[in-house]
Amino acid sequence: MGTEVMVLFFGKAEVAAGRREETFTAEDTAALRRQLLDKYPAMAGIPFRMALNKTILKEESALNKNDIIAILPPFQGG
Amino acid sequence: MNHKCLIMKNRYLVGGPITPLLISELMTLGNDDSGAGAVSIFIGKVRADEIEGRRVSAIEYSAYEDMAGREADDIVKTVRNAFSDVRSVLIVHSMGVVKAGEASLFIMVTSGRRDQASRACRHTLEMVKEKLPVWKKELF
Repeated sequence: MGTEVMVLFFGKAEVAAGRREETFTAEDTAALRRQLLDKYPAMAGIPFRMALNKTILKEESALNKNDIIAILPPFQGG
Repeated sequence: MNHKCLIMKNRYLVGGPITPLLISELMTLGNDDSGAGAVSIFIGKVRADEIEGRRVSAIEYSAYEDMAGREADDIVKTVRNAFSDVRSVLIVHSMGVVKAGEASLFIMVTSGRRDQASRACRHTLEMVKEKLPVWKKELF
């Protein structure tokens, strides 16, 4: 059983997904990552990191209801 | 200051280019700190690069705004901790469309004496590049 989380797409990930946000059901970020790549194969070419509730993840993490996951391609500010 | 407050999306992000007028307003911040003997400023501008035979006319910036504020707070804190003579650190980044030749990033660091102002300004710039969740899309 997974839990419902909000996924936010940024930069090239937004282009690959064709949307800014979407709800997914997954029990952890590894499962979410698999779903994302299955649904949006173009994301396989983007070296993205994930942020869980605005904190960048250094390893896979369990997910809780109402968590917000952001898909973060390499930053390009400046 | 009224002009700036109207267009700032948060303390660090501003809609559109960082105009000469905004820069002049930002430069007045900290004028009341009579202990700051040095001010170092970096201004980043949009280049009209050629990409695959097409000339960039503008860049459209986007950000994870909720996270950008926190990351910028952390950058300011880190720089202030690393450079004991630094008295203020200001970061402003553009969102939305910025034309080639216009400014999209403004960093200003004040310190008591000159050495740490310039080094801390450079350090802030590198941290902005590494940590601020901002993305760009070239427009032609």
